[in-house]
Amino acid sequence: MSIITVKNLKKHFQVHKKEPGLLGSVKSLVKRKYETVRAVDNISFNINEGELVGFIGPNGAGKTTTLKCLSGLLYPTSGSVSVLNYTPWDRKPEFQKQFALVMGQKNQLWWDLPAMETFILNKEIYEVPDEKFKKTLTELTRLLEVEDILEVQVRKLSLGQRMKCELIAALLHTPKVLFLDEPTIGLDVVMQKKMRDFIKEYNRRYKSTIILTSHYMGDVKELCERVVVIDKGKIVFDGKLEEIIKKFADHKLISVVLAKEIDPKKLEEVAEVKEFDYPRVMISVKRKDVSAVTAKILDKLPVADLNIEEPSIEEIIRELFTGKNYA
Amino acid sequence: MKRLFENCLRARIMRKYLQVIRITFQEYFVYRLNFIFWRLRAFIQLLVLYFLWLAVIPQGTTIFGYDQAKILTYILGTSIIRSFILSSRSVDVAGEVSSGVLSNFLLKPINYLGRWLAKDIPDKILNLFFSIIGVSLILIFLRPPIIIQNNPLIIFLTIITIILGMILFFYLSFSLSLSAFWTPENVWPPRFLAMIIIEFLAGSLFPLDILPAGVFKTLKLLPFTYLLFFPLNVYLGKLTLQEIFIGIFISLFWILVFWQLAKALFRLGVKSYVAWGR
Repeated sequence: MSIITVKNLKKHFQVHKKEPGLLGSVKSLVKRKYETVRAVDNISFNINEGELVGFIGPNGAGKTTTLKCLSGLLYPTSGSVSVLNYTPWDRKPEFQKQFALVMGQKNQLWWDLPAMETFILNKEIYEVPDEKFKKTLTELTRLLEVEDILEVQVRKLSLGQRMKCELIAALLHTPKVLFLDEPTIGLDVVMQKKMRDFIKEYNRRYKSTIILTSHYMGDVKELCERVVVIDKGKIVFDGKLEEIIKKFADHKLISVVLAKEIDPKKLEEVAEVKEFDYPRVMISVKRKDVSAVTAKILDKLPVADLNIEEPSIEEIIRELFTGKNYA
Repeated sequence: MKRLFENCLRARIMRKYLQVIRITFQEYFVYRLNFIFWRLRAFIQLLVLYFLWLAVIPQGTTIFGYDQAKILTYILGTSIIRSFILSSRSVDVAGEVSSGVLSNFLLKPINYLGRWLAKDIPDKILNLFFSIIGVSLILIFLRPPIIIQNNPLIIFLTIITIILGMILFFYLSFSLSLSAFWTPENVWPPRFLAMIIIEFLAGSLFPLDILPAGVFKTLKLLPFTYLLFFPLNVYLGKLTLQEIFIGIFISLFWILVFWQLAKALFRLGVKSYVAWGR
């Protein structure tokens, strides 16, 4: 059963353009040029109950705008959206009590007060009964290991601790639908991992439907079976994650640090060089050729250090739009 | 049974706003020094005004039909009631709109106007409390010649008109703040301009009845006099009961107008809201 249905959603913004320099500023006082930005340009998709879907795409692709439309923060230019059978931008309390939007870079916690105060406020706002509040809070604080910092002024918490508290604040009313916008941004690897485990556990325990956006391939890889790739406001891929990796991330990157300077021509003979900035060399290799090429590099070049890396999500997407067609 | 259920439901809804009030109180008390300085500033302002007018109108003289006691009561009175009528946390609405903090509340089942109304309660209670202390100090130590109203009906009506003034200013200030939806980078200049005009027309600089009769008559139809001048004149006993009720009626009318305006602006604003950066 579809919990979220999006049909031909469009969101266009009018953005005012200013010519550079003082003269441009003065001109813009009198006459302004506006340009239409198609942040979301005719997208459609369905999401079923309990699914955990990843939204990926470069900065400014329209991921966050889409989430904002789904949350009822923005009125779309055209198209229709239904979440839990409600139209989000009607902002009905019955709807709002069943979903949450968490943005990794923003906060809702009261900066000057302990996190507990925000929790109590949210409890009252969402009209959570006392018993249920206690139970959920105990559960969430235990899962995220923050039992001992709830009484500390929020401004004194570390980024990771704060992010965990943000999550708790957003989940106290146990939303059925959850939108996570870069929940792991700025967190160290240990914390990222904990966050992922938590999201997975929450999805399993409460059978909630989750949409997640992230720039970390790791998040998406570990959490989402299905991904939706968005670029320039359009959906360019919607399907299983393995397919996208197979389809678009068909190569790996070998980064080499050279021990001494060599003729660039010699490099070209060994492999396809992406970047060369002595002593660093970046080499792009087809997945199946990795071991062969690595052996060749070690054999023919004066290597000080060598690393094999997955291309970043940005890279896969960039490649997706340069030359290849993604049909 | 159904009645009981409805009451419970209403109690739940009230609890949201009670918690908003509680949190706002706590925020005030987090920074003790800031809190103390702010109150001290208000008190010193009161003293300065008092001594200024004491010097301007020596005992026995009258100015525009006001003797020393009346003018001092007016001036002291305005500076006290303006500290909680012409002050509303709703000035911060503009900041929330232009910085995108508003998003936090649009996502939740809470009434945004109601939330700000609730946030004003602690603010006004604190201002009232410290105003009373300030005035008591002046009364005890300086024994100024001021008029003490002792007619309970008049005192009651004064309180009513003050409450109406607060509500009126809340919606007026809220509407002003909502301009941030359309000009997020331009919030303070219009507010300063508006506040200067409002303070003048509300009578915070001088009693408005010293203006030419025609001007004064027109002003009485506008909302601004009902913020300061009207409640103070009720207190001073300068108005007949009939005049008081007409005044209350006019302020109710303006409250209705600005309430609807604030709601309509908010509805419109949210539609053009882009939640930048959030």
